[in-house]
Amino acid sequence: MTQQANSVAKMQQSTGGGGLKGRITEPAVKTKDPKGTSRRVWNYMEKQKVGLLLSIVLVIFSSLLSLLGPYYIGVIIDHYIIPKNVSGTIKMAGLLFGIYGAASLFIWLQAFIMVNVSLKTIGTLREDLFEKLQTLSLRFFDRHKHGDLMSRFTNDIDSLHQALSQSVIQIISAILTVTGVAIAMFSLNWVLAIVSFATIPFMIFATRKIVGVSRKNFSSRQKDLGELNGFIEESISGGEVVTLFGREKEMFAEFDVINERLRHSAMRADMFSGYLGPVNNFLSNIGLGLVVVIGAVLVLKDITTVGIIASFVTYSRQFSRPINQLSTLFNSIQAALAGAERVFETMDEVPDLQDKKDAAAVGKFRGDVEFIDVHFGYSEEKRVLKNLHFKAKAGEMIALVGPTGSGKTTMINLLMRFYNVSSGKILIDGKDLQDYKIKDLRQRIGIVLQDPYLFSGTVMENIRYGRLNATDEEVIEAAKTASAHGFIKHLPDQYHTMITSTGANLSQGQKQLLSIARAILADADILILDEATANIDTRTEVEIQKGLRNLTKEKTSFVIAHRLKTIEEADRILVMKNGELIEQGSHNELLSRRGFYYGLYAKQLRI
Amino acid sequence: MKSIQNLLAYTKPYKFFMMLAPLLMALEVTMDLLQPFMMQKIIDSGIANNDMSYVMKIGLLMAGAAVVGLACGAGCTIYSTRASVNTATDIRRDVYKQIGQFSNENYHEVGTGKLLTIVTSDISLLQSAIMMTLRSFVRGPLLFIGSSVIVFFQAPELFPILLVLIPILLFFIIFLSRKAGGWFRKVQDGIDQLNTKLQESITGIRVVKAFVRRDYEVSLFQQVNHSLMKTTITAEQIITVMMPASMFVINAGVVISLLMGVIEVNGDTVQVGVILAFINYLNIILMALTSSSMVIMQLMRAFPSAGRIQQVLETENHIQTMEHQESTSGVKKSIEFRDVSFSYSQNGEQVLKNISFTALKGEKIGIIGPTGSGKTTLGKLLPRLYDADQGDILFDGIHIKNLKLDSLRASIGYVTQKPILFSGSIERNLHFGNPSAGDKELAEASRQACAAEFIERFENRFGHRLTQGASNLSGGQKQRLALARAFVRKPSILVLDDASSALDAGSEAIVLEALKSDFKETTTFVIASKISSIIDADRILVMDDGKIAGCGTHSELLESCPLYQEIYSTQVKKGGAAVDSASK
Repeated sequence: MTQQANSVAKMQQSTGGGGLKGRITEPAVKTKDPKGTSRRVWNYMEKQKVGLLLSIVLVIFSSLLSLLGPYYIGVIIDHYIIPKNVSGTIKMAGLLFGIYGAASLFIWLQAFIMVNVSLKTIGTLREDLFEKLQTLSLRFFDRHKHGDLMSRFTNDIDSLHQALSQSVIQIISAILTVTGVAIAMFSLNWVLAIVSFATIPFMIFATRKIVGVSRKNFSSRQKDLGELNGFIEESISGGEVVTLFGREKEMFAEFDVINERLRHSAMRADMFSGYLGPVNNFLSNIGLGLVVVIGAVLVLKDITTVGIIASFVTYSRQFSRPINQLSTLFNSIQAALAGAERVFETMDEVPDLQDKKDAAAVGKFRGDVEFIDVHFGYSEEKRVLKNLHFKAKAGEMIALVGPTGSGKTTMINLLMRFYNVSSGKILIDGKDLQDYKIKDLRQRIGIVLQDPYLFSGTVMENIRYGRLNATDEEVIEAAKTASAHGFIKHLPDQYHTMITSTGANLSQGQKQLLSIARAILADADILILDEATANIDTRTEVEIQKGLRNLTKEKTSFVIAHRLKTIEEADRILVMKNGELIEQGSHNELLSRRGFYYGLYAKQLRI
Repeated sequence: MKSIQNLLAYTKPYKFFMMLAPLLMALEVTMDLLQPFMMQKIIDSGIANNDMSYVMKIGLLMAGAAVVGLACGAGCTIYSTRASVNTATDIRRDVYKQIGQFSNENYHEVGTGKLLTIVTSDISLLQSAIMMTLRSFVRGPLLFIGSSVIVFFQAPELFPILLVLIPILLFFIIFLSRKAGGWFRKVQDGIDQLNTKLQESITGIRVVKAFVRRDYEVSLFQQVNHSLMKTTITAEQIITVMMPASMFVINAGVVISLLMGVIEVNGDTVQVGVILAFINYLNIILMALTSSSMVIMQLMRAFPSAGRIQQVLETENHIQTMEHQESTSGVKKSIEFRDVSFSYSQNGEQVLKNISFTALKGEKIGIIGPTGSGKTTLGKLLPRLYDADQGDILFDGIHIKNLKLDSLRASIGYVTQKPILFSGSIERNLHFGNPSAGDKELAEASRQACAAEFIERFENRFGHRLTQGASNLSGGQKQRLALARAFVRKPSILVLDDASSALDAGSEAIVLEALKSDFKETTTFVIASKISSIIDADRILVMDDGKIAGCGTHSELLESCPLYQEIYSTQVKKGGAAVDSASK
């Protein structure tokens, strides 16, 4: 029920938010569903059933053994030491030693197992969250700061750990002790027992109140921590620009605002939740006072004895300790839930691109591509593509040309189905794009993105990203076709040179070459080059084109380029302006038409 | 340990809180300890004397003590929180400040993943360690020491047992702490790796999706996650030994003391009453250890974190500043490169080899050459993103190392090859170039960068919000904003690193025109791959493999430089004549 409501709310949020208006500031603290969240955490923990059961059994054993200790001490003193039975004392002492040894062993085993249970639970949760994240579409990533998403994997999930590893032991041992002591108290004197319990409702009330507020406080702390992580991640990624423009102070000032916010929310969270200890301690002290005073009155009225008061005092102490511990536990559970909520919030995101039920698998595309009346906007209000209509026959090379921001990359984004069209249709081999499995569709389309992103790893690994089972020879072959082999040969460890995603060891042009090699290796049926050679010198570009020409002979290819020389040989050139297709034809046709294309061409070649 | 000491300096402003919190805690404990004392009064005097009013009076006193305890406890919470959160926040501020000063090399050395872990996870760990210490550490040692002292006076016969037990306990605690400390350092390293992996798969999400590498990414993540889990499990399992082990040692003491009841030492056995008292105190010591164990665990985790934080705080910036520095307001005469060589790593290949040239004020210098020939690197040496290994770069004859770094950078407008923009409004991004730029200047700069045209079409114009990485702009739009950001600076020097690669010819023409007319006084370095972008340059440097292969104007180079000729031939129509005539 609640889950459904949650996901409905999510959907509304994701559609209503309109994606691309920057980081949308969410309402401070949403009303959340702690019970549902705890249930979901529990579902994860349940996967470690064996460990969980084992540690419960061990808790029971070790608690019983700890009770045996004091009993045997009494026995040894009364029956062996006082009668001076030396050999008996030694024997019994040995037994006691064994009991203590076993108790320690069980306690250790129990903690040992719980560490496993808790960390494995967290590990699984993290894995699931990552898998989920990978299914989400670009719209989602456009909407969130990277560092904030990362914070969910680290700071938020970690806050679960503390609560998980302690909860089972504490809850069970508390239940055991409280029941045991309650039974003992009632059998001794029911009036005093009731008096002792008088403060319990207050304790429950105080705990609930504090915990309720704490939850909100912890939520805003985790949110601020996420925001801080987001800010830092971005400012580190853009560190070079900050340095170049000498904006360190201003960035620091912005950081300081978030840092101060975190100071206050962390302060509020830790302070308020910290009141729980002293408050419960106070209540148990008051309870103790009541027992003594009322006990004294009862003694004076000859209803009870001093001995019984003494016992009650001991019992009350034993009784309130686990309750105090439990309430502390409730606090760390609140911190955990605040983290878990953010984790599940991401888990509950509905990917806005999903395979249809009967989506078709793709073995190989012939390569006919058709756009029929395609309209598209990243947000509802603003159309980026208007009424796009064209057809590319299998094997054709189609060039996309037009001013920046005219919608060329967007068109490619639609062809890759990074986004769904707002209206109209895109057909590949006569079938709607949305009727194919997304995975297969993308696999059969090779793309070189405008921004050549590389991952940490060797050069070899980065090219192999295009086809994971490619042999070393195939990788090198692809690098040669992409004219990347030349510079790779000169790297310190050649194909095994480590590169980092942020590293300065490759130039932008070299990164582009690697990313072209990657796409070549993928050996797809349709090839897209989105300004793939923008930062590459023209000599190398000519070389690459020779290589690519052989490769794309049979394939449909889409090429976006600003250097018009690059695309003169295209079968057809689509000229885009303001999201509309304004001209199309071959280079010569367009030149002779003396339209927009002619203008662009003339401007550029005015050397 | 040293790192903790250094970081402790951060607690100084909160010294008062740091002292008050444990003091209040001690008071709360005292109030707790008073309860049994008053209880005894009620029983011994009140009940014995049948004095109802006395019982009530002491009862009220107990309530009063409880209230005082409550106040002290709450006070301890308040001050311990203040001390720890404030200290941690201050440290975080300084760490960020330090990171903000990092050079490119520093960033690459430490890595984004690690920096993120330090600013959040490590500092949080430190914060909770301080808080826990202030809230509950007093209780443990106090009880521990107190009990030991009482044993010394009350049960001297059994005191030798403590003399044996305490060293064993201390040994356990120190040994385990050390061992776990090493592992917890590895845990933090594991989080670094997790962060790095996460950042890459999120930043590279388009690549991941384009190649349908979801499963592959998941398997890579699983590896990192798994090894983090394994390390954490090991680290925490070491800790789990501590409690049962100390329980065992203490309980062994109990057993030994019982044996002393029957075994004669110096011809005498120990009294039962003494043994009972001793056992009681041992239990108190155990309780003290239990309550301290959480704190000890937190401290164990915090030590390696403190070390990592300290490491960042102590990182030396690769870009050193000299003592006596001059301020510059821009180039007045010339910029000179004199025999400059550079490599990114100590033993790595030289990216620039003996570069020498001079650019006069107001000159436009074009830089062209094959991919990887060192063009970008050359540009990066000017604002001292890196320092040359050999040779000098001189501004009006002054070595740039002798110029104030901020004034040097303030005089340069730089457009990086990959346009990096920040989330937030367009205005915010342009203000990077010049914080005091008004609407007029912003409009002017965006006109020069040919960005006005698309900015005007946004509903909120300069208030239009960009997403992270400006993923809601096209490549060309990003580049034009990056240009506008440099233009709004009205700098004395402009470095445009392939800054028009994603611009269509029309937009580029506007930008080039603006350079010509509006930046006459500006010394401009244009790194380009299109000859058309630099054809009008006063001088063109042709770079090849880190060396200058040719230098001169377009027509000079066409005559003399084979590499330039080759580049040219790939960019004009076969024969080239038609185009040449078009330029005239």
